[in-house]
Amino acid sequence: MGPTRRRQKIVSELDFLLMVSPSQEENVTGGPAGSRASATSGRWSPSLILPILPYFTFVGLFLLVPTVVLFTKAFRPVTGSTTSAMVEAMNASNRSSFVFSLKLSLYSAILGAIIGFLFALAASRIERPRRLRNLVTGFSGVAANLGGIPLAFAFIASLGAQGLFTRILYHNGIDLYGAGFKIYDFWGIVVVYLYFQIPLMLLVMLPAIDGLRPTWREAAINIGASPFQYWRRVGLPILTPSLLGGTLLLFANAFSAYATAYALSSGGSRLVPVQIRFYLQGNTITGKGNLGYALAAWMVLILLFVMTGYLLLRRRAERWRTT
Amino acid sequence: MNKRRTTWEWPVILVVGAFFIVPMLAMTRFAMQRVPMSLLGRDTLFSRWTIRGLMNTISDDKFQPAFLLSVRLGIVTVLVVLALLLPTVLWLHLRAVQWKMAAEVVSLLAYVVPPIALVVGVSGAYRDTVPWIVSTNFGLVPLYAILCLPFAYRTLDAGFAALDLHTLVNASRSLGASWQQTFRKVLIPNLRTAILTTSFLAFAVVMGEFAISSLLLKRTLPTYMVEAQGREPQGAMGVALLLLVLTTVLFMVLGRIQKKSPTSSSQEIRITP
Repeated sequence: MGPTRRRQKIVSELDFLLMVSPSQEENVTGGPAGSRASATSGRWSPSLILPILPYFTFVGLFLLVPTVVLFTKAFRPVTGSTTSAMVEAMNASNRSSFVFSLKLSLYSAILGAIIGFLFALAASRIERPRRLRNLVTGFSGVAANLGGIPLAFAFIASLGAQGLFTRILYHNGIDLYGAGFKIYDFWGIVVVYLYFQIPLMLLVMLPAIDGLRPTWREAAINIGASPFQYWRRVGLPILTPSLLGGTLLLFANAFSAYATAYALSSGGSRLVPVQIRFYLQGNTITGKGNLGYALAAWMVLILLFVMTGYLLLRRRAERWRTT
Repeated sequence: MNKRRTTWEWPVILVVGAFFIVPMLAMTRFAMQRVPMSLLGRDTLFSRWTIRGLMNTISDDKFQPAFLLSVRLGIVTVLVVLALLLPTVLWLHLRAVQWKMAAEVVSLLAYVVPPIALVVGVSGAYRDTVPWIVSTNFGLVPLYAILCLPFAYRTLDAGFAALDLHTLVNASRSLGASWQQTFRKVLIPNLRTAILTTSFLAFAVVMGEFAISSLLLKRTLPTYMVEAQGREPQGAMGVALLLLVLTTVLFMVLGRIQKKSPTSSSQEIRITP
């Protein structure tokens, strides 16, 4: 079990459980295998395209067409108005729910990134029970995919007004709810989201931390660097793209989440997805259906922006991991 | 040589670990102990544990249809995803290499369109023209397949990449096997790990999916749980716990399978040319 082997294992685990594939580049550029013959007959030849047509048709029908429809409806005006719903979606009350959603995603991403990074670093440095690391990665794989209704329930049972942990704190003189904490408010949701954000960050960061070669550290120590200096000048700069990329991934993750917040607040949250539901269910009465489309369209735009940044940063992070 | 002193590492592991374990314990207690929170103390800690709440909910006549619907949707989605992707990824690796990039980018689009936007777009596009997508239970399948696409594509793509595909296919075909036989007897056994991984993940995603099914007013397991929460909180909590345990077991089995064959494909069949 050399370190590379282990790294590969974790990378593949990550690959399977999440969306991160470090080997993407080599796949994307297209290997040499199979490019003979077919390459010359042209990329549009029917015999070449026919077998992959169902896939593209399926994605076209159920992902691309709906997205296009979403945007065309979003740019139409709301009944009784002349401005596009896209513009109206950024008016006062809706803007405040965007601010709420963005802020929530940002805080949970930054906190999740910091704690997740420390967690990953700690897990990678502890060697004594060898199984700890496997335990941590295995568990993270499960927890990062949790979320949804069960997670909300688990936190209602522990940090709700009558929750176990709330009670324990209360008996020790800390009155959470007296201090204004509510599980369905801003900070409550942030804490709940950390449950899947921290493990996700761990899964992103472990391969990157394993990619720090011992020789770099030894070289730094040999020329007289302290461990602190090593981290300041070598370790952290190399990890920075991974850290930033991971943070963006966490942000996108939180931003598109819906079920957990919905169940925590019994449907009354100010989050953008919950607002979308509100507009669409009332659309026949209020005539504001297009507003729902516009909010969803804004979500797509924001996610497009964030995920592009993530992919760029990941490409940069891989610079050190090749060879 | 690696004799580092561990100072801050254990506290971090323990605190974060506690953060992960406490909610699970609290959930278990809530689901199975009939002692009001205010009376919970050292002497009542072990009294009145029961699974009656859970049993009540499970025998509720709305639970079983919801559970079965989720299971069926999970199975059908897995089949649709595999039927859609296996031939496609095979062809992309075998011949249509120029299309690989496009196929992958397209699969990643699902990350940019969140479930809530997807369901809004789909109902906007098809509510009037193809109403079964919105109105029937199994109309959820295409949407769920889209949700699973990014990880399913990547998993299968990696599975095929680990194979010496040309050698395998050529060997099989030159021995007189039809495409169908090649697929069934050569490719699928070699792709076992990738196929199982995809299936388990897709199944788990469908079992827990809430946003889409709730917006389309379908009675799947998660929407049932939310609805039952008000009526029978303890039972709903028990069902949620059950779902969590099921997911965890699924992932543990998956970890076993992956461990058993780290690169099963490339090791088992080394037919060197």
